[in-house]
Amino acid sequence: MPVAQLELVHEVAATAQPGMRVPARVYADDELWEQIGHDRSLAQLKNVATLPGVTGAVYGMPDMHEGYGFPVGGVAAMRLSDGVISPGGVGYDINCGVRLLVSGLAAGRIQAKLHDLVHEISRSVPSGAGRGGRLALGASELDRVLAEGCRYLVERDLARPEDLEVIEAHGSLAGADPWAVSARAKTRGHDQLGTIGSGNHFVEVQAVDEVCDAAAAHVLGLAVGQVTVLIHTGSRGLGHQVCTDYVRLMDEVMPGYGIVLPDRELACAPFGSAEGRRYFGAMCAAANFAWANRQVIAQRVRDTFQRFFGDDGALRLIYDVAHNMAKVEEHAGQRLCVHRKGATRAFGPAHPETPGPYRSVGQPVFIPGSMGTASYVLVGTDEALDLSFGSCCHGAGRRMSRHAAARTKPGHEVRRELEAQGIAVACPSSGELAEEAPFAYKDVERVVNVVHRAGLARKVARLRPLGVVKG
Amino acid sequence: MKPSVELIEHPGEVRLHLQAATLGELAMVAGRALAELELGHVPGPARGPWREVVVSGRDREATLVHWLNELIYLAETERWVGVEFAVTRATETELGMRLRGVVVDEAPARVKAATFHGLRIAVVSDGVEADVVLDV
Repeated sequence: MPVAQLELVHEVAATAQPGMRVPARVYADDELWEQIGHDRSLAQLKNVATLPGVTGAVYGMPDMHEGYGFPVGGVAAMRLSDGVISPGGVGYDINCGVRLLVSGLAAGRIQAKLHDLVHEISRSVPSGAGRGGRLALGASELDRVLAEGCRYLVERDLARPEDLEVIEAHGSLAGADPWAVSARAKTRGHDQLGTIGSGNHFVEVQAVDEVCDAAAAHVLGLAVGQVTVLIHTGSRGLGHQVCTDYVRLMDEVMPGYGIVLPDRELACAPFGSAEGRRYFGAMCAAANFAWANRQVIAQRVRDTFQRFFGDDGALRLIYDVAHNMAKVEEHAGQRLCVHRKGATRAFGPAHPETPGPYRSVGQPVFIPGSMGTASYVLVGTDEALDLSFGSCCHGAGRRMSRHAAARTKPGHEVRRELEAQGIAVACPSSGELAEEAPFAYKDVERVVNVVHRAGLARKVARLRPLGVVKG
Repeated sequence: MKPSVELIEHPGEVRLHLQAATLGELAMVAGRALAELELGHVPGPARGPWREVVVSGRDREATLVHWLNELIYLAETERWVGVEFAVTRATETELGMRLRGVVVDEAPARVKAATFHGLRIAVVSDGVEADVVLDV
């Protein structure tokens, strides 16, 4: 490993804790490493290293922080032959992810209409906790979304065939099993397609602020001043219920498999067991739902841009990438189940799953900052396969609790400060706005620089927020 | 032991530290704390008829988590938040509860799930205490 990378790798030996089967490696500079020490995320990563069948090393991304069982920003790969699958290693918001669209419009062209545009997007894309959406589905339609994801939406005129080419797994995982998704999960999700949800989810209108790699930016179709739209959401209540259902199931069956864990939230079952296969089928179905969710939202945003700017407002999808997922992948000749919890794939140019249009530069990777701060576009590297099973971080990472953030500054002040920066804000709740204030997050520039310097992904462009619709 | 709840903050979660005289009372305290989180304020008086919920788990910790997840499910799918509770049965593996609640305009899905992470129930000299982490 090159010296430059070694400076950014903090390794915990497999002998550090009884039961660890592999070492834990965290990518961080000194300041991020110090911040990581403020919570229990490293202890969680060491717990993950005890899971049966775990191989190579477990990895912590620069934005790592404490989660439930697995840390957020954690990556672990288990052999299919003798390893486990863990719903906690995917998380409650299955296939929470990000998609980026780009327009041919320059930022100056939308400035006069920005507030109206953001307001109109907030009207057409329901946000807020638990709110139902505008696309209520019947039982058979929901099953098709679960089975086919975005492919089904092409039939419904909610996706274009060319969109599918630039969505991870084409927005449709073949292993999806709608029958493994409980009636409760379907009830929670049936009217949520096309909704953002709450928490840190958003639709953001942005402008390309800086190009860091002109050649890669050209391939992605990004240039300084161009308007982009970033969508961040996941599988909503449907995914939450799938996780709840299967953590419960695996907690109940684990003793029968002789699995003993340091944390019950790591509940798991052998990948090849009946319970493991059922969870994988349900998780894939929830992932398809999440891709469909982001697709429907993207289509609503496209419609809004069309109403405001006509054909000039056309939005092309650059990529859509998941950051809460377990994927079956081949690494160094082994078939592995790679768990990425709050971490995104970052495959390089040579990887067969990198979409055709990006084979010369690598798969696009998006690292959103917080409201009011920049987001980054990067591309995956071939080296990342050896460094992190082809994984990269998914955001800036929280550094302050929601309540602490809300206590620090009330929502109306956060709104005023964002608007003073020229950022249009649509958020139904000032309380939610306060909880997601920029100071509640780590420094995205620092996180991205570690990713770039460590070779996990390469910086391509920085995006500046113009307007945000918050969940 | 006097029933009590302490909300412990963390960047990625909400941890409830609960104290009560019995397992049944612990479940009631947990239910009230969840209602306050879901509504964003101390709940007002319950309205409407009583309903009955029964949950079971492989031990007392799992039973508490399943109880909270049942309330989260009702809140999101029925826009109904349970605020008044009466225990009908409480063992280590089963909880029966009568409850009344309030209907809200928007489904209060601020809490995604109750988790097994750091879950603990301990019998202490004058009752029971528990830690349960919520995904928010």
